[in-house]
Amino acid sequence: MGVRTGFEEATEAYQLPRLIRLAPNLHAASFSLMKLVPARFILRRALADGQLEPGTVIVETTSGTFGLALAMQAAQLDRRLVLVSDPVIDERLYRRLVDLGAAVDRVPAAAATGPGGYQAARLRRLAEVRAGLPASFCPEQYTNPDNPRSYAAVAELLLESLGQVDCLVGPVGSGGSMCGTSTYLRTVLPECRAIGVDTHGSVLFGHPDGPRELRGLGMSLMPANLDHRVFDDVHWCSAAAAYAATRQLHRRHALFMGPTSGAAYLVARWWAAANPAAVTVVMLPDEGYRYLDTVYDDGWLAAAGHRDPRPPDEPAVLDSPVPDSPASEAGPWTAYGWARRSYAEVMAAGDPVPAP
Amino acid sequence: MLDHSPATTAARPGRHPTDAGVGVGSAPGHHGELLQGVFDDGAGRLRRALVTLPQPDRGSRAIFYPSQRHWGVVGTPELIKVRRAAILALREFSTHPSPAKGGQVEIISDVPRGIGMGSSTSDVTATIRAVADYHGVALSREEVGRLAVRAECAADSIMIDDRVVLFAHRDGVVLETFGHRLPPLLVVGCDTQPGVRVDTLALPPAEYDDREVGALGVLRSALRRAVATDDVALLGRVATASARINQRFLPKPGLEDLLEIGRRHGGCGIQVAHSGTVAGLVFDARQPGVEDSVRRCTDRIEELGLVPTGTVGRVPGRPGGSGTAAGLAPGTVAGRTAAARTPA
Repeated sequence: MGVRTGFEEATEAYQLPRLIRLAPNLHAASFSLMKLVPARFILRRALADGQLEPGTVIVETTSGTFGLALAMQAAQLDRRLVLVSDPVIDERLYRRLVDLGAAVDRVPAAAATGPGGYQAARLRRLAEVRAGLPASFCPEQYTNPDNPRSYAAVAELLLESLGQVDCLVGPVGSGGSMCGTSTYLRTVLPECRAIGVDTHGSVLFGHPDGPRELRGLGMSLMPANLDHRVFDDVHWCSAAAAYAATRQLHRRHALFMGPTSGAAYLVARWWAAANPAAVTVVMLPDEGYRYLDTVYDDGWLAAAGHRDPRPPDEPAVLDSPVPDSPASEAGPWTAYGWARRSYAEVMAAGDPVPAP
Repeated sequence: MLDHSPATTAARPGRHPTDAGVGVGSAPGHHGELLQGVFDDGAGRLRRALVTLPQPDRGSRAIFYPSQRHWGVVGTPELIKVRRAAILALREFSTHPSPAKGGQVEIISDVPRGIGMGSSTSDVTATIRAVADYHGVALSREEVGRLAVRAECAADSIMIDDRVVLFAHRDGVVLETFGHRLPPLLVVGCDTQPGVRVDTLALPPAEYDDREVGALGVLRSALRRAVATDDVALLGRVATASARINQRFLPKPGLEDLLEIGRRHGGCGIQVAHSGTVAGLVFDARQPGVEDSVRRCTDRIEELGLVPTGTVGRVPGRPGGSGTAAGLAPGTVAGRTAAARTPA
């Protein structure tokens, strides 16, 4: 083995997860900021391909951690960055983005009621911003195949460290992390199971678009980077269940993570306990600092109506991805055997689906 | 044939006392690769590289007869590589106190040619070692590798025989050392296209797409673990994945059928020659009853009309593979000679 050396830059130092054992057969892939993986890969590749000349402005639509990851890498590369976001952006995140030199362009609050909600409005605004710039580069995390591709580095780490991975569990948003990591793991381990964690009211796996309290996973628009045929199972997790599991992850394992990590942990712990012979890995995408005054504040949780500190013990397993009854009646945690089918195959096989 | 002129045999300091004015060298063959593709070289560049599966039971032996005269023209491609290797090695030692000007190389080899078992690298490596031996010089494994690559443009890593390496076969440099030895493997080899010969010089280099480049990096990481933990099952999966990626470039007919035969007998996967026609079913040599499995697999391979190429590796505590020993048994030996001379 070589001697230990330092990192060239912060984004390199922070991008890969730490692997931590949570149970005999359950390992956490705990990221500081998972979105650094695609942000760093895409921007460095654009630089190498000559798409990021010194005057080129990086533009992207995001209200979340992908923007932070881009801002960190843009600062490292000394490039300007414009982020088009929702009107309501987390104040802590906003301050970090601005301190990193990013310009944050917020769409008007009225866009919430338009078709496609904020996500569609952000895409329209992004096109306007680009039209006004002489040279711009958009990483396009929802459609750029380099997003899933960048997760080869995570699959490398998992295979080198664990050798065997029978099941990968993680939240789904753009589709990049779960599709990329599972696909690359399956180069060596074709039978590796992939379990996607979504939330009620997200269109990703067939729900009609609806209000979603749990942020950071799920979508109002279908991202091209989501390859549905990767997934063996899909789980839908409510905000309450995710928050309770987030706190449990912290209390039991001292892992201070955000609520999408909690949702993934909820599912992974259940699956690993039910399959004790299977090596299970759970993706924990970001840390808990942004949620100190919310998920980690009992007063806030109570005020938001989340009074039960215990997450549910097991999911309600559905015969169809879309519950017949409203989400509140189907339960805080539901699951469906997706069986590596395409979206169209699942929708054709299931009950009639209300138009989104 | 031999040129034992006093001018070349005299005054060679450091020569082995028993030699008769010649240099000798040998090198093993191999049975294709466990992994081949393009890999990050650590400096942000992708380089073509491979992990060879050595076959120490087969090999080439070279004898270098020094000369001051040119010995004529060599016609066949493989001997052109030997001649080039000899010339390069002679140039390398031209500042030696008493260098040979030229000479003749005799090759004795039992490595089958043109099917991806490393016959040319074996010949070339043995030749470089023979010329070095004549000059009383001990070349490092890496130096031999560098010269071999210069002689034949792309060389396998059989000269680096003390460890498992990811070898940039067109640059002659080691990208990574995985460990000191491979896990205990037993590989049942066969020629998937008997009678077909692959001209490696005419083979266009594989152009891997972005997805494949990512997958190859993953395979490299998995192989790192397989070697470090003696995990034949994982190594077999890596080799299988590499073989499948290669199906787009130099396909092995019936690859999946062969793989299935191995699976039915407890095998761990399949490895191939990425620039040849041989393939091998990978078994864990520690697995109980592995010899029976190997025998049954060999029978099945013959039933398919494929030609067995022998077994690579040994069951722990048992002697012998099915190939010939390093001494090269008579009957399987192909003698070849090539003349070499440094340009004036």
